[in-house]
Amino acid sequence: MKGIVAHAVRLPAYSVSRDEIARAWQTSSPGGQKRCVRFDEDSLTLAATAAQDCLSSLGSSSVGGLLFASTTAPHLERLNASLIAAVCDFPETCVTMDFASSLRSATSGLQTALSLIEGRQGESLFVCAADTREAEPNSGEEMLFGDAGAAVAVGNQNVIAELVSAATVYDDFLDTVRRDRDEFITSFASKFSTDRGYLAPMQSAIQSALKQGSLTAQQVSKAALTSPDKRSHLQLAKKLGLAENQVQDILFNDVGLTGAAMPLVLLSVALESAQSGDIILVAAYGNGADALVFRVTDSIRKYKSSVAISRQAARVLYASYTQYRKARDYFRHADNGLEISNVLYAKEEHQNIRLHGSECSHCGTRQFPVTQVCVSCKRADQLREVALGRTGTVFTFAQDELYPSPFPPTLMAVVDLNGGGRIYCELVDCSPSDVRIGMPVDLMFRKIKEGGGLYHYYWKCCPGRGL
Amino acid sequence: MTRSLTQEVAVIGVSCTKFGENFDQSLQEMMVEAGTAACQDAGISVDDVQAAWLGTFSPGFGGGKATITLSDALKMRGRPITRVENYCATGTDAFRNAAAAVAAGKYEIVMVLGAEKLRDRAVRGLQREGIHPYLEAGSTAPGLFALFANRYIHTFGMDRRILAKVAVKNHANGALNPKAHFQTKVTEEQVLKAPVIAYPFGLFDCCPTTDGAAAAILCRADMASKFRKELILLRGSGLAVMSGKPFLDPTVDYLGFPSTQAAAQQAYRQAGISDPVKELDFCEVHDCFTWTEITNYEDLGFCNKGEGAKFIEEGRSSLTGDVPFNPSGGLKSFGHPVGATGVRMIYEIVTQLRGEAGARQVKDAKVGLAHNLGGPGAVACVVILGREA
Repeated sequence: MKGIVAHAVRLPAYSVSRDEIARAWQTSSPGGQKRCVRFDEDSLTLAATAAQDCLSSLGSSSVGGLLFASTTAPHLERLNASLIAAVCDFPETCVTMDFASSLRSATSGLQTALSLIEGRQGESLFVCAADTREAEPNSGEEMLFGDAGAAVAVGNQNVIAELVSAATVYDDFLDTVRRDRDEFITSFASKFSTDRGYLAPMQSAIQSALKQGSLTAQQVSKAALTSPDKRSHLQLAKKLGLAENQVQDILFNDVGLTGAAMPLVLLSVALESAQSGDIILVAAYGNGADALVFRVTDSIRKYKSSVAISRQAARVLYASYTQYRKARDYFRHADNGLEISNVLYAKEEHQNIRLHGSECSHCGTRQFPVTQVCVSCKRADQLREVALGRTGTVFTFAQDELYPSPFPPTLMAVVDLNGGGRIYCELVDCSPSDVRIGMPVDLMFRKIKEGGGLYHYYWKCCPGRGL
Repeated sequence: MTRSLTQEVAVIGVSCTKFGENFDQSLQEMMVEAGTAACQDAGISVDDVQAAWLGTFSPGFGGGKATITLSDALKMRGRPITRVENYCATGTDAFRNAAAAVAAGKYEIVMVLGAEKLRDRAVRGLQREGIHPYLEAGSTAPGLFALFANRYIHTFGMDRRILAKVAVKNHANGALNPKAHFQTKVTEEQVLKAPVIAYPFGLFDCCPTTDGAAAAILCRADMASKFRKELILLRGSGLAVMSGKPFLDPTVDYLGFPSTQAAAQQAYRQAGISDPVKELDFCEVHDCFTWTEITNYEDLGFCNKGEGAKFIEEGRSSLTGDVPFNPSGGLKSFGHPVGATGVRMIYEIVTQLRGEAGARQVKDAKVGLAHNLGGPGAVACVVILGREA
């Protein structure tokens, strides 16, 4: 049996109301809000957080690969999946692959992972996806596009949703296009695009997958269908013969259309409330379509979701459109000058990216960063490198108005990590008035700066999510 | 057995430029002013100086990172010059090294010169060079000290009014000091209403960034009477180095600075001081932020841990209190040109011991202490000077 063994969704803590966007441009609003990343997040950090959350739900299993899907990967040349795998502290023998260019890159990644898992008994492969698509200001897409990440781990032990069947079709159709030099998409949105670019390939792939699984539309418990807008997925459902209650809500009102992340986001949400025996369909479009059918197993009863979507309500609603733009663009428009060598990066990768520290075998003290002489008993030959915990409590903090930020104060925290070790990092996704000594926090991989032609990532922390 | 420096080194000359925004003076011009004035004060010429120690923290335009800066400024050629950099404790550490060389008998007359030009910069606040790009990302000087102040307040409780009292006191003292960066009194209300920089620190809880230079001439104690009628001797000194990244050290309790405690113990032992309240007449301490002065009262042993608030509330550290702290105005009002600050403290102690401090003169000043702190407790240096009867 092969299939899904764990899943997680990661929604940004920030949101903007569509009415505020409409107010800024004097247009009409489809209502609701969309989630948006802050300047220190991107598709890589969203996916990395989702992958780690997914990992926390997974029992012990060796990880054989990490596949990353996005149309907005921060690096066009540099393997994003490798960086995410390092953040997750996965072994160097992992398969790492980036999937790009298509809104169905995540479902293509999922199909690839399910093929790769054959013969890898006891291993799991992670597929993570995230998108932070930039919409042109005052465009229709600006109302629609939201940011999110999700991750699904596949394996062949403790499978919670067994793969039944999968199908794909491709069609080099001009629907949405973003060339290498473009900041925003060129859209051919029209009834023709919906019919030919969305409904036709989705219908074809889904019907083919159901047929392979000897299933009818009526047997589908939940269909996680991506959509090019607020409602076309319902039109698709109708054509397929699915009732509205068989269709997974696409989170339009709270999150928006999340691009390449959308199929995994919807799949994960569908799995959160799935029962043993349920048939779950996931399908995504984009120059064709992918459809996968899963049957939920008895293992779902023992499965514990890491951070359910119901616990990821937006913490900060931007007061205005300008606040939203300022938060999103802060790093994009200024190179704030951090230059490092690849020597330092390579030398300290275990410490800075994998969050390794040292543990003294004489006195047991765990410490960060990796060090040669114990901070506690001062012995020089007793330290060994260890992976540190990624949750902790605030020992002390500062609310710094001086540090350059679009939204001062910058919150800085000294965090005592669970299991030992102390780190100093920014506290994000938290209102200054909510910071307390002793508050639980989770470490999160975020951007700290740009400069020297690089995005610089490091650890920050956010209020504890009860992992 | 280490050799005691006590009674072996005299300070025979001191000087200090006006501290402030010295836009019309380069780093080297300030060095020339301070260096020549200190020689004049000692009644010697620059040629009589056998060796020099230069304290600078942050090289800017016009040098500062190497000994040649001082050689080029004073044309002090063909002699040993050593540059000292030890965070914000640079100045006192330069003094400590110079004193050790004299005590060791290597030289008879030496110069210590600290200088810094901080207002010639594009960024706000203290430029922090060479910090780790990841492990220290997001840190600023006020932010780092706020980590300590917040934990301290969490543990002992303290009103921001207490911190304001430090600013009010040191501004009042600075108002009496013609060389101070700020010479304006402030009220408690002004301090409390000022924009917040990093809670609990408002603008007036933070020392400024300043330009300035200060110098001292040291000689063998047995030669001092040739140059000055009064005899001011080094009684003791101490330097203690802790971690530059206390925020990663799980053994740090954030309630004070063990570096200050250790440096003070070294200096007290050497000077034979067992009760600082009774045996010291005044202190020039490192008040980079108002809370730093509160913890200094405790770490230097003037009161118990957690009782610093009471110490200032009772007025004991005011100019007329039993142990005036920062009669000069401190870093808070005199200003903080990093490399110069420690030497400026020596200048103030000597000026007070000579009875030449004018309106800010401490009554019966016979023994004074200088305390210089670098980083959030990374380095501390304590120097004790006394006037011989």
